[in-house]
Amino acid sequence: MNKQNSTRRHFLQSSVAGSLLFPGIVQQLLADSGDPLAPREPHFPARAKNIIFLFMTGGVSHVDTFDPKPALTRDHGKEIKADHPEIKDRPGYERIYLKRPQWEFSPQGECGTEVSTLFPHVGRCMDDIAVIRSMHTSHSNHYNATLGIHTGSFAFARPSIGSWISYGLGTMNRNLPGFVVIAPKQTYAGTQVYANDFLPAPHQGTLVVPGAQPVANVAPRVPTDRQALELAALHDINQTHLASRGGNDPLLEARLRSFETAFGMQMAVPEAFDFSQETETTLDSYALKPGQTSGFGWQCLAARRLVERGVRFIELIDTGSSGNWDAHGDMMSHVGLAKNVDQPIAALIQDLKQRGLLDDTLVVWTTEFGRTPFNNTADAKGREHHSWAFSSWLAGGGVKGGIVHGTTDEHGMRAVEQPVHVHDLHATILHLMGFDHQRLTYRHAGRDYRLTDVEGRVVKELL
Amino acid sequence: MKRLFCFLLVQLGILVHLGSLHVAKAAEDGEAFFERKIRPILVKHCYECHSDVNSEGGLLLDTRLGWRKGGDNGAAIVPGKPDDSLLIKAVRYQDENLAMPPKDAGGKLSADEIAALEEWVRIGAPDPRRTAMKLGGMNAEDAKSWWAFQPLPNADRERRGKIDAFIDRKLRKHSLTPVARADKRTLIRRATYDLTGLPPTPVEVDAFLADQSSNAFDKVVDRLLDSPQYGVRWGRHWLDVVRYADTAGENTDRPLPHAWRYRNWVFESFNQDKPFDEFIRLQLAGDLIRSGQSRERLNEGIIATGYLAIARRYGHDIDKRAYLMHEDVIDNLGKNLLGLTTGCSRCHDHKYDPITMEDYYALYGIFESTRFAFPGCEPKGQPRDLVPLLSQADIDAQMQTWNQQVARSKVEKKKLEKFAERLKGIDNNSLQQIMARTMVGEGATVPIKEFKITLRKGEVLQLSVFPNANHGADSTRIQWKIQEEGGQQRCWDIEDVISRIADGNPLAVGNGAMWCFFESTKAPAFLTNRHESLQDQSSLKAWKRTGDALSIFVNTSTQPVKVWTILPAKAFFVHPEHDRPVTVGFVSPIDGAVTISGAVTDVHPSGLDGISFELAHIASSQYGEALVEVGRRSSTPTIDPGPKPDIPVAYAVVDAKPVNARFQLRGDPEQLGEEVPRRWLSVFGSETLEAPEESGRRESADWIAENPLTARVIVNRIWQWHFGRGLVTTPNNFGSRGETPSHPELLDWLAAEFVANGYRVKEMHRLIMHTAAYQRSSQQTQQWLEVDPGNRLLGRFSRRRLSAEEIRDSLLQVSGQLDPIPAQAHPFPDESTWNFTQHNPFNAVYETNKRSAYLMVQRQRRHPFLALFDGADPNASTPARQTSTVPTQALYFLNDPFFHAQAAALADRLLELDDDNERIQRAYRILLQRDPTETERKIGRTFLQQYPAEVVEKWRAYARVLLASNEFIHVD
Repeated sequence: MNKQNSTRRHFLQSSVAGSLLFPGIVQQLLADSGDPLAPREPHFPARAKNIIFLFMTGGVSHVDTFDPKPALTRDHGKEIKADHPEIKDRPGYERIYLKRPQWEFSPQGECGTEVSTLFPHVGRCMDDIAVIRSMHTSHSNHYNATLGIHTGSFAFARPSIGSWISYGLGTMNRNLPGFVVIAPKQTYAGTQVYANDFLPAPHQGTLVVPGAQPVANVAPRVPTDRQALELAALHDINQTHLASRGGNDPLLEARLRSFETAFGMQMAVPEAFDFSQETETTLDSYALKPGQTSGFGWQCLAARRLVERGVRFIELIDTGSSGNWDAHGDMMSHVGLAKNVDQPIAALIQDLKQRGLLDDTLVVWTTEFGRTPFNNTADAKGREHHSWAFSSWLAGGGVKGGIVHGTTDEHGMRAVEQPVHVHDLHATILHLMGFDHQRLTYRHAGRDYRLTDVEGRVVKELL
Repeated sequence: MKRLFCFLLVQLGILVHLGSLHVAKAAEDGEAFFERKIRPILVKHCYECHSDVNSEGGLLLDTRLGWRKGGDNGAAIVPGKPDDSLLIKAVRYQDENLAMPPKDAGGKLSADEIAALEEWVRIGAPDPRRTAMKLGGMNAEDAKSWWAFQPLPNADRERRGKIDAFIDRKLRKHSLTPVARADKRTLIRRATYDLTGLPPTPVEVDAFLADQSSNAFDKVVDRLLDSPQYGVRWGRHWLDVVRYADTAGENTDRPLPHAWRYRNWVFESFNQDKPFDEFIRLQLAGDLIRSGQSRERLNEGIIATGYLAIARRYGHDIDKRAYLMHEDVIDNLGKNLLGLTTGCSRCHDHKYDPITMEDYYALYGIFESTRFAFPGCEPKGQPRDLVPLLSQADIDAQMQTWNQQVARSKVEKKKLEKFAERLKGIDNNSLQQIMARTMVGEGATVPIKEFKITLRKGEVLQLSVFPNANHGADSTRIQWKIQEEGGQQRCWDIEDVISRIADGNPLAVGNGAMWCFFESTKAPAFLTNRHESLQDQSSLKAWKRTGDALSIFVNTSTQPVKVWTILPAKAFFVHPEHDRPVTVGFVSPIDGAVTISGAVTDVHPSGLDGISFELAHIASSQYGEALVEVGRRSSTPTIDPGPKPDIPVAYAVVDAKPVNARFQLRGDPEQLGEEVPRRWLSVFGSETLEAPEESGRRESADWIAENPLTARVIVNRIWQWHFGRGLVTTPNNFGSRGETPSHPELLDWLAAEFVANGYRVKEMHRLIMHTAAYQRSSQQTQQWLEVDPGNRLLGRFSRRRLSAEEIRDSLLQVSGQLDPIPAQAHPFPDESTWNFTQHNPFNAVYETNKRSAYLMVQRQRRHPFLALFDGADPNASTPARQTSTVPTQALYFLNDPFFHAQAAALADRLLELDDDNERIQRAYRILLQRDPTETERKIGRTFLQQYPAEVVEKWRAYARVLLASNEFIHVD
């Protein structure tokens, strides 16, 4: 395959040199007809080759998980003033009061990073993790903030970060998609969170829904021996056709080849999601029972298996656009949601580490925004949306473990020291993957677009 | 002497004049050369770094003074001496340290461009650019002379052969000879897909092959242009550009149940060959232009403004994000109609094109003075401002009749309630309890103990089932028999009603007895809502109160049915609500003694606390008669106002209060600056409104429709939709970041013809399709691939893959399943049931056998099929479809159920024929419009022989192979 591609490329290049008629067009053609998924080198040597992007949907409370705020406990019930987007002109929110965290924090690992009791298992991995406590974002609506953390755009449809990575790096395994999203349900903003938008279609995210048939149309509808006969006949007919058309149309050839890849995918995809060869110890560590095909543990183990098979970008979404971390009514819903992901995430990090994959794999844990350190009564059970501050963390892939970056003020209201905007997180992720976020661009509608728009700063302290 | 002197003077004068004329002529030629060749190169390749404030290396190239002064390395140009000019050295890439434009900014210029620059310097570098007055992102002078903004040439009298002449001239210049004409089968397949998006039928192919007349192909084109399927195909092209969708795109992605009228209007307009300038005007201001005309014409105008109304909506509360909707409108209007990226000027002047921020807010005011139909959003659920398609008088007339009926039926209802309340009085006085409130534990059965009682005709026995304290509904089985003692020994059993419960309530059961089913919280309220099924189980029939679960129901099946619980076969149930008992009443037809027996069972054990029941005797003979009367009147009201009249509405716009917009500083709607009067773009003359009391849409419709740029943009699109690539390859961008035309004279000629011939699109199809260029073969030799890989010279025809819609429509057509009748509204859930939130947004995929242009397209969730095969982007203008080849597409052809179903239907069609040879032949003729070759027949026969299955399955497999083949989904 590679040899063929390089020949084709060479041929096109030589025709560029020979013609000089319309160099712009030829360049475009070279890009178009050249295999868009062929592996490509990044701008500079990358720290990470793959990404596992763990997205906790609904807005995880930072002050109850990764950002300890003793002053918030101390000042519980104290009235404060804030020009906050969520309470502006909202009836019943004329007065607001600080609300204490509901879980205890304690130092973890050798690094001593404090984590709350909601994440005991992840807590044990803190020596590998760099927590960013000074995240902030541009919108406090689920839809917009979710779109923003995925595409860098808070209103318009734009390519997802996974599509950008696929566009930049191509794929290592032609039998599997290069950008996979494993989600039991759709989150806010629907398919836009993993859409290629204006990037070429091969860079769109492929949705995997945990269950018996994870990828659409991947299960053979006829027995494979019969299907092989059909494909053989198709191949003969297409070859006859190609020959009758002069034998030199890259489009026809590409489509002819795509059936071979598809046939391979019918094996490779189920194989990637078939855990029968995993040991009981491994399954146990992810809190999985033999034969189980759902749950966040399943998603995490699938992610490790996809990394092993060369998939560049894997996103795991824990729940959907309802029944998630959006704890307006009662913070206690964080207990079940944390329990759902805590052990599987820790198992994933340990598993990657044991297999020597963590150095090449960047694990990103994030949510769309935080939750307010206050509410409109001192004894309110829930918390509201909070775009001013939240916590994310990174592990592996060249990230310094056991550190904490940035701080919020004493009550967790605002990111004060070394604030990291969503655009900065994106710039940093691209940097770890070997890209200068200002140079990974795509010309569309007359201008060059990039993931970070006109913003973004690499957080060097994390590297 | 004096005369001589005078003569000399005159002579001298003439001489002097002639001399200056000569100089002037040369200068004019030089400037014309500059305008034609040089300015576009400088604007496109140099200005980004060498104009205005961006003077890389100190060099400015946007005025004559700029290059004379030069940059850090000295003067850029030595007039007359190309070899000594730094600029020429730079573009030649002679010196690695001085190679321009740099590789990462487009790289080396083309040989043609370099030669033009050399020639320009050689003739002295004539340059009319004296000042660098800016207009947006362009030098004002550059903008004035920008190629796309120039007036169109006069239309030609002689049109025959003109297009080919333009193309052939360019081919000759590159010493290329075009390939031969395609064969007839290829031509009819190409033309039929091109104009209708469907394959030709074998009959159509045969007719064309048999037609030996010289204009046979012209006749095919005419026939296709008359087909109603033409408008679906070309209208869909337009929907791509206007980013049509059936949902709003805000956080809940609500359905737009009326947008289809605009979609269908677009299709009809193409079919009617509506002049394109009118087509544009109506979309921008149809409501204003057609105001005062017949209802039908006005409605068309209103529906056409759906173009504006379908703008994408943003955010949680749409009203708070209206400025983003306006940006979407201005952005689409610019790209779509003018080929200009007007949306770029929301926060700052355009970086490259002559559009200012002031221009943006001048247009913004026009749309701020427009009321857009409101689709609803999470905090404001109710849609509003839809535009009615009936006059207010007609609406009033329809609504008045209905409102009167509603009022009368309310009075009637009140009367009935009063009447029923009186019943309660009788009930209270004559009620004798037979069994007091009796508990039935969760999942338990309690027998009705045998009980003998004497009844009079018209008296009532009633069994009421109550839910217990802390829960609502519970399914309860009732078995209840009333046996006459002596006399005729008649027996009435509640289970007798099972087979005929749907007949009525009250229900006559023979021998004069009646069963009544009602709620007995206050006065008896009959269950008046009949249901022929429950949870899609047609063996379950029910009577309910309006809109809730309170009910009685039966299982008519001889088998138990599993729904929320297992319902035993042939049984009668009641289902009370929280605090609302259900009662079954028996009206006695006899005077005499009866024995009552039966049982009450909780059939839905769910860990709650069961139900309870009472059995009573109402010893008043008027009561039964009155109860039956209430029942009759409740279930068949004497006055039925029927459903609310359906007033047809359009998702459209009308004028609002006219306002001028104010600047939004850096695009922030909260930071308002000065007011900007509504007007046209400054580069086109800043025309102001003639009728400022209107929104300004009427004027903007004229400004746009009459602009030569608009004509250039649309003829380029038409060209692209025929050839796969436009003369300008950036159809949404004719500005300085766009590509320049490959055949500029041809583009201008086409635009001039288009305007001169009354903007008739069908005429353009004829002009284009009648050319040799259109009818060329798509066979390409290696030489073509090397010399002109992108086929910009049109020496051959470009083979293309079918679009998503064409693939699906072709599958349906060849399988015989296509429904060619236009669709109307989508089967969206009724508006009254909408409760979409960002947590639970609207999400649906509707199957249909109609053409794919009628598929319901959502903004937040791509239609799975359309997304897979590069369908249009419903969020932004799609100027050209991509053609991706990915293995997930191949998986579709291997395993998709829809694909398999079409293959099966095709196989059924083929199996109607007698032998395999005929079938193979028929398959090739339906799918590929030709006979199979001997090799292909052999492949087919061998496959059918080897495939280990029954004959039907063999043929289904073979149909799949052919339907997945490259030839079927490509057009030569």
